[in-house]
Amino acid sequence: MVSPIYILILSLAIGFLLSVIDKTNRKFSLTAFYGVLTFNVLVIADWFYRFLFLGVPTLTINTAGFRAPVSINLQLGVQESFVLLFTNLIGLFAAIFLYKKFKESNISSLTLYLILIMGVNGLVMTRDLFNMYVFLEILSISTYSLTSFGKTGKSLSAGFKYMLAGVTASTFFLLGVVFIYYFSGNLNIDFIQASQFTNYGSIALFLLSIAIFIELKPFPANGWALDVYEAVDSGIVSVIAVVNSAAILFLFYKIMPILPERFLNVFGIAGVITFLFSNMLALKQKKAKRLLGYSSIGQVGLLVASLVFTANAPQHLIYLIVGGFFINHLISKAGLFWLSGIVKHENISDWNVLRGNRSLLILFGIFLFALAGIPPFAGFWAKWELVKLLVHSKMLFALSAILLGSLFEIIFLFRWFTLTVKSDIAATIPRWDASKIFSTSFLGVIAIFFAAMIMKVYYGFSLIHILPVLAVLVIDIIDFLPSKVKGLLSLLAVLAYGYYIYPFESNIQLFFGIIFIVGSAVNIISTLNRTGKSEGFYGFLLMMIFSFGNLIIATNYLEFFLTWEFMTISSFLLILRGKQAQKASLMYMIFSTAGAYLMMVGFAFAPQLMGNSPLVISLANVQLPLISIILLSIGFMIKSGSLGVHIWLPEAHAEAEADVSSFISAILLKAGVFGLLLVGISYVKFAPSFDIFYWVGWIGVLTAIVGAFLASFQEDAKRLLAYSSMSQVGYIVAAIAMVSHLGWVSALYLAFNHMMFKSALFIAVAGIYYRTHTRNMYEMGGLIKKMPLSYITVLISIIAVSGVPPLSGFGAKWLIYTAFISNGWYLQAGVLFFASAVSFLYLYRIIHSIFLGQLKYEHQDIKEAPVWFIIPQYIFLGGIMAISAFPNLIIKPLNKIAMHYFGSSIRIDGYSIFSELGHWDGHVVMLVTMGAFIVPLLILLLLVGKTQKVKQFNIVYAAERPESPQTTHVAHNMYAHYRKALGGWGKPRIWNFWHSASEWTHSLADYFRHIYTGNGQTYVLHIILYVVVIYIVMGV
Amino acid sequence: MDIIIRILYAVISILVATVWGLTLTGIVRKIYARVHGRFGPPVWQPFLDIIQTHSRRVAISHGYMFFLGPVFRFAGGLGTYLFIPVILGSTVFGNFSMGGDVLLVMYFIFFGQLGMALGAGEGGHPYSPMGIARGLSQMSAFEVPFSLAIISVAIQYHSLNITTIVQAQQGSILNWTLFTNPLAVIAAMISLLGMNGHAPFSIVMAPQEIPIGPPIEMNGSFLGILQTNRGLFAAAKLILFMNLFFGGAAHPNILVALLIMMIKTFFIYMFSVFVGASFPRFRPEQSFRFFLKWPTAIGILAILYIAYL
Repeated sequence: MVSPIYILILSLAIGFLLSVIDKTNRKFSLTAFYGVLTFNVLVIADWFYRFLFLGVPTLTINTAGFRAPVSINLQLGVQESFVLLFTNLIGLFAAIFLYKKFKESNISSLTLYLILIMGVNGLVMTRDLFNMYVFLEILSISTYSLTSFGKTGKSLSAGFKYMLAGVTASTFFLLGVVFIYYFSGNLNIDFIQASQFTNYGSIALFLLSIAIFIELKPFPANGWALDVYEAVDSGIVSVIAVVNSAAILFLFYKIMPILPERFLNVFGIAGVITFLFSNMLALKQKKAKRLLGYSSIGQVGLLVASLVFTANAPQHLIYLIVGGFFINHLISKAGLFWLSGIVKHENISDWNVLRGNRSLLILFGIFLFALAGIPPFAGFWAKWELVKLLVHSKMLFALSAILLGSLFEIIFLFRWFTLTVKSDIAATIPRWDASKIFSTSFLGVIAIFFAAMIMKVYYGFSLIHILPVLAVLVIDIIDFLPSKVKGLLSLLAVLAYGYYIYPFESNIQLFFGIIFIVGSAVNIISTLNRTGKSEGFYGFLLMMIFSFGNLIIATNYLEFFLTWEFMTISSFLLILRGKQAQKASLMYMIFSTAGAYLMMVGFAFAPQLMGNSPLVISLANVQLPLISIILLSIGFMIKSGSLGVHIWLPEAHAEAEADVSSFISAILLKAGVFGLLLVGISYVKFAPSFDIFYWVGWIGVLTAIVGAFLASFQEDAKRLLAYSSMSQVGYIVAAIAMVSHLGWVSALYLAFNHMMFKSALFIAVAGIYYRTHTRNMYEMGGLIKKMPLSYITVLISIIAVSGVPPLSGFGAKWLIYTAFISNGWYLQAGVLFFASAVSFLYLYRIIHSIFLGQLKYEHQDIKEAPVWFIIPQYIFLGGIMAISAFPNLIIKPLNKIAMHYFGSSIRIDGYSIFSELGHWDGHVVMLVTMGAFIVPLLILLLLVGKTQKVKQFNIVYAAERPESPQTTHVAHNMYAHYRKALGGWGKPRIWNFWHSASEWTHSLADYFRHIYTGNGQTYVLHIILYVVVIYIVMGV
Repeated sequence: MDIIIRILYAVISILVATVWGLTLTGIVRKIYARVHGRFGPPVWQPFLDIIQTHSRRVAISHGYMFFLGPVFRFAGGLGTYLFIPVILGSTVFGNFSMGGDVLLVMYFIFFGQLGMALGAGEGGHPYSPMGIARGLSQMSAFEVPFSLAIISVAIQYHSLNITTIVQAQQGSILNWTLFTNPLAVIAAMISLLGMNGHAPFSIVMAPQEIPIGPPIEMNGSFLGILQTNRGLFAAAKLILFMNLFFGGAAHPNILVALLIMMIKTFFIYMFSVFVGASFPRFRPEQSFRFFLKWPTAIGILAILYIAYL
């Protein structure tokens, strides 16, 4: 083993020798340069291995032959070696990234780089305060010089501002060191205690700590840093953002033990504020590197906050939270900065050039997802545990600020991502540079490695919970196959998966298993119509379907939430595939994430679960606190598109690819339903004193009516169906909220029915879109004779939606009204009647505008939809007809499921179902209807001999022949009169609300951005003022 | 054997209701004519009309949905009627009320409307969808006070079962819902104006605007079936109202019971006719707004009154 002191010695020695070596040949100097960097990594890696696995005690190195505190000592333990391993690694790979530049630049930059790395190593290891100052200065000076590496005017001025700020901070540092020596007679932090600094003494600690804190770029005293991030070369800036920050952060960590608690709390809060505001300000940022700068500053703020807030937590949690954020920041930030060096475009909307290289695009996705805290990357786990910790220590303000900041982060990161993936490529594609791509890819591998380690080693997840991610990887490998083959394989995989999880399911799980797995399997058939390769499609599809399944077998909150996030991200990526889906998918992601954060907090408030049974079962015996119920309900209602948080829903449904929409509407929305049911299961036994579900019920019925109206006013077939889904799920939410036997029977019945008819409808519309290339219904018309099979699907489905007997929809209506009235929810029942009547408007609109009325000239030769669309439609129709003719097929099992939670409120006698209010015999209804239908049909058929068939256009009105089908088809703005009748009620208030919320946030961000004037003097003033403010707040 | 008898009973029941419904229609046409200052057609004119339309030489059809539209419509009328018990305790006029309760009847009304709307849609005439759009919108509006009234009645009798509701109103005229729950009856009767489509709610078939409306392309036997249904369906609706709000028809003697039914339905219908003869037509949006205002408020009051007072 090599003593780590050689890292310092060798770096310094070779650093100064480089200029000599360079005289011979640049190759030699480069070899020496990279040799030292590699040496550093190897030495530290060796030590890290020893500390971690061999239990070697922490190493103390005394210099100059004396023990501390007489002489300076260095310390290397597991924490130091962890930080150093990754900083040195990033240092090495950043150097590889910069290879081309180093090959050509002045030798002094290599020297400076080595000295910078040495400074980092020294700063992390030393225990002496003055020595820290020295290393900090070494680090700073080398960094100032390196900022001018790019040799642009901007980078020079940025370097100068950096110097101004650095010198200001150093002054405080040095003053602090002097005073500390005055009060404690000592400079070694191992020998200094907080108790030595009473009264005036605390000024000493304040000066020291504020100096370090300033170096960590707290908001708003961080303008200098932003300019540096923006102007300096990507390779160097990655070192500044990641390596320097890590070292200074560790410095802060080292002095934490001597700081009084009130200091730490203020720093923690200042960290949270930095995180919140940096991410908010980033919202308005369009330049990639400056945006990353904001994000870096925010992440460091979060790291400081988590260091402070986890101080009293168990060791392994600190490692997971702080270590997780640390690694996450390190990898994703360095990776993104490097990518910016590869892309070479300032504006984030020009990053779409990445689409020219699939692996780079994937890397971009990995870094961005990691930064956003998407599972399975480290940040996700850190955030989950931090939220739990903050909830348990009741730091709710800090928690809210962190989550809000994270939401801002999601917004700008995913805006960037969606723009990259979707916008039209205008910029020129740069030449890809091998050394740069190598470094960047390496980081991607590390990110995945850590994700796997945390999942397998820390949490011990079983394979099934990793399956969604594995599916993506496997499909990615076989992505060269034609899409039909992959589709068939996916279908088989889903069936096999369904078979595999079948034994883990009991009653209610099995029911949702059928919706999720069988429903998905049938829906997959429609994707077989795809031609070409559909790259990436099936991977995310399988990820989503497996996540559905994993939701129902999840046994604890984390498994559930992890799966939930997998589901969200996969569905987001699927929606994003739509041609115009950039905004829609972004909105979906933002709302989903907001919901997910609420759920995360909700789960953190929930009591621990005992045993290993699925959540559906174990939650029955768990009393969720009111706050949990509220947060979880909102989270799940966002996913199911409840009123107020529904605005993502129509966009996502409409803009997703035709065969994806059916998954989203028919199945994904049911995940929200399933979640709400989970909350309900706990609610049955432990209803809180404040009956929150009563209000959930109201939201449900209002969703039903508003959704129905909105659907009626759409011109776009898919948006119409989307709003219809919103409305229908509103019924389900309301029925669940009743927490009664009949309520749940009707909710489940509706959920199943909705899955079938909405799948059929969306697939039918997909087939029509495939033929007509339009979603605007008024551009169609008269397709009944051209696409009779699709027509029958839509006909049967809309009857099933409407609740007209004898089809399955009536069962749903009968159950739900009976449930509402017997539950005493009378006015709610009235609203549902209204919603149900309004639903006829949109149902008629969709079938009439597409199939009836006049056929357009351009559709004269149109054909029936492809068979891959027809097959799944008719499978679903078969299901609808089966439960229509034999309602017992579904009512009986649902009755049993609900009886696990409540006494039965219905009596089933043969085909008759009796409730306390009334009765319904599906079989008699079916027979009578058939009889009533057949008799007039026969009468007409007897007279059929004199029927004369004429063309559609053969009509006359007011002695005038119609001009063309285009002007004769009544479809556009069909319910204008209703809109008029609604008057002010028809305004899109909720959309306006969210729109202005977004506008306000962005304006606010823009306003705050003005403090960054770009003037070095102003920045120094900020720092001084900041110090004064913190001084006052801390009450030193 | 049982099934044949049941069908036989159903046929008798349907015939009685259709004849009575058509007669009522004839009477109403007469009354309207007199109000307008004409002599008007004879009371049996609806019967003549049906014979006349069925004996047309040709029937023009625009396609299979067009062909099925009237079938759906008539099936809707038949079904609606068949799920309502007409005479309390009568096997002949009990119909197939074991099929379901008032919810079933309410939704079966939609069956015919939806089917007819589809058939008319294929007719391709612009007036059809215009009329349908108006009709559906108006339906959604008057359905609100009507369903509130039904909910109120369901709370009152703790049942949705029509037979049970009728039974509870026996004994005295004061037991009728009309007197025990007047607010619900008011709300429902205003809805009935919309259902019957007389002025001021005659926007669906509005002459001068969209003459004849949805059935504009219907002719020959298609129209004949629609006209037959008009009689049956009118009777079915009136009988439903009679059962829910006006004590139903009950008497040991079936003929007396039928007479009671006829008298009651006549007067219920006359309410629509009086209003229709006295008021001008609303514009569509006025009509929708009307139902969503006062009648809805009355319906809500009916529920609050019954449930909480």
